[in-house]
Amino acid sequence: MELIELTKLLCALPGPSGSEEAVYRRCAEYLRPLSDEITTDPLGSLRAIRRCGRPNAKMLMLDAHIDEIGFVVTGVKEGFLSFDTLGGVDARMLPAREVKVLTDPPVYGVIDTMPPHLLAPGEDGKTIPAEKLYIDIGMTQEAAEKAVPIGTPAVYVGGCDELGEGQLCGKSLDDRTCAAIIMKVYEDLKDKPLPFDICCQLSTQEEVGRRGAAVAAWDMEPDVALVVDVTHAKTPDGPEALTEGLHGPAIGVGPNLNRAVTEGLFRTAEARGITHQTEPLPGDSGTNAAAIQISRQGVATGLVSLPLKYMHTPVETVWIDDMTAIRALLTAYIEEADL
Amino acid sequence: MTLLDTMETLCCLDGVSGREDEVRDYILERAMPFADEIRTDPMGNLMIFKKGDRPRTAPVMLCAHMDEVGLMVTGVTAEGYLRFDTIGGIDRRVLIGKRVYVGPMRVKGVVGSKAFHLTTAEQRRTLPEIESMYIDIGAPDKAAAEAQVSLGDTVAFEDGATRFGDGYIRAKAIDDRAGCAVMLELIESRLSCDCWFAFTVQEEVGCRGAAVAARSIQPQTALILEGTTAADIPGVEGVARTCALGQGVVIPFMDKGTIYHKGLYQDLTRLAEENGIPWQTKTRIAGGTDASAIQRADTGVQVAALSVPVRNIHSPACVAKESECQDQYKLARLFLQYLAE
Repeated sequence: MELIELTKLLCALPGPSGSEEAVYRRCAEYLRPLSDEITTDPLGSLRAIRRCGRPNAKMLMLDAHIDEIGFVVTGVKEGFLSFDTLGGVDARMLPAREVKVLTDPPVYGVIDTMPPHLLAPGEDGKTIPAEKLYIDIGMTQEAAEKAVPIGTPAVYVGGCDELGEGQLCGKSLDDRTCAAIIMKVYEDLKDKPLPFDICCQLSTQEEVGRRGAAVAAWDMEPDVALVVDVTHAKTPDGPEALTEGLHGPAIGVGPNLNRAVTEGLFRTAEARGITHQTEPLPGDSGTNAAAIQISRQGVATGLVSLPLKYMHTPVETVWIDDMTAIRALLTAYIEEADL
Repeated sequence: MTLLDTMETLCCLDGVSGREDEVRDYILERAMPFADEIRTDPMGNLMIFKKGDRPRTAPVMLCAHMDEVGLMVTGVTAEGYLRFDTIGGIDRRVLIGKRVYVGPMRVKGVVGSKAFHLTTAEQRRTLPEIESMYIDIGAPDKAAAEAQVSLGDTVAFEDGATRFGDGYIRAKAIDDRAGCAVMLELIESRLSCDCWFAFTVQEEVGCRGAAVAARSIQPQTALILEGTTAADIPGVEGVARTCALGQGVVIPFMDKGTIYHKGLYQDLTRLAEENGIPWQTKTRIAGGTDASAIQRADTGVQVAALSVPVRNIHSPACVAKESECQDQYKLARLFLQYLAE
């Protein structure tokens, strides 16, 4: 399966933080034939491992998260569902929005909005906080209570598809694009004898505080970790100092990241003629790298990011060329890596 | 095709005010074999006359508008993003992060805005003004964007419809493809009396098509078939709910544009009662219909309306109840029967 096809498949699956099972299953199915072991942990991350066969081998880990932002049902009022958010949901996205409530089978819903003529003066154009919004599932109170238990998660509907020239747009591109990339990198290296073990880690619960990666990395005990996540790309209304689409992998630089690994990524990009950009990260990178770096006695961690517009919306947008460039960079880096 | 299938098909066509062509073409093609007379005019209204069992000298006009709210491209930035303004009344809170189709080539786009991580707390509390939103069509630069879209192109919300819950439907443009669907179904059926069906343009920008259509038909009586705002969601109480899904088809006595004809209002409510059709009226004087223009055409017309309650009206996710669409059809049919007697 090609990278874009795999990305589309993964984005179409629901996987809000804490309920990543559907994504886990699909990824496990893909990675099983490529792996010596597939393991998990109580938080549900997937770790696919290919051993090099050497005694006391070191391990290189690729990490991307498979959870997405979403919602959780908190109650039923007049047949409508009240909800809270899972991860950083932008409340401005919610009015007149379609969602999938993850019962089995799922229930379709629309987040209703108050007609503007009912607004009090001064409320015009104001964001409606999520706690004042409800999911309309077209049911009576009794039917809704029966159909949707409190605590049921929900996600935006849809998956992703092409936008314009070489871009992909949809929900959960953060971070399924990168999950697909590291799965392909792991596959690309399957016939390449490496002097270390390689682990493709698809971690859970990143959007609620990198919880999955923290325990998974502790368990895996990698020597080097390459975290792959999305980062903000420049838009007409955003700050100037952001990554840019079509400028290739954004290699993170800062205290959260190991200098030798980072320099190695730059060297590989330059040697292979891969267009790339630098993302200065003065503090916490805001990614799983922050959790993995301080696992056990510390992990030499690098961060490669994919520029993405409209983060945490149902219309997240990336450039396909940047995805393939990240795949090429990671594959080349690992081929030459000396842990 | 059932009434709901017809409505769903119509909702998935694009007809932003001033560009109703796709909707008109579809209606015309289906109505043609059943029509006794077909008129169009320079505005783009489609008027279809169909004979019924009884002739009528004083014309009766049924009316639904073909247009829908949308956007218009007003500029292209150097980076290839599109600036836009609204066509018709759209609450900017339903725009951000929505999928749209731009222009005659139906170029796929999304309404963009910087990620909320990059906003200040104050910016998060208020939606950006329309002037600072933009449509991203994935074009790398201005020239690439201009090769696909032009200034003045209309922009429609993403199409598609979903049936859900206990007989509910979600789609764009239910206002007023619901009414168009009812009229189309009536045209395809046997009628009790002669009737004109006016599929109007430009309702959303000021009932501009209906005024002209009324002058052409010169009706004595007009019944407007519409979709109307429902605010029956938690947090809205009492009369502010305006009308509610599941409470029946709406027979309004008054809205912002029209005081409806008292006799017709009584006739319609009585017909509903006698035939066991659930009905309600609007509990808030809000909104308006083509009746406002038709009522005051020439020497005046007696007007009434039947509306389907719609949540999230003027958004990509309008929600209506299937049974109320059926009831709108039934009551319109009974009204024609009543006029024939």
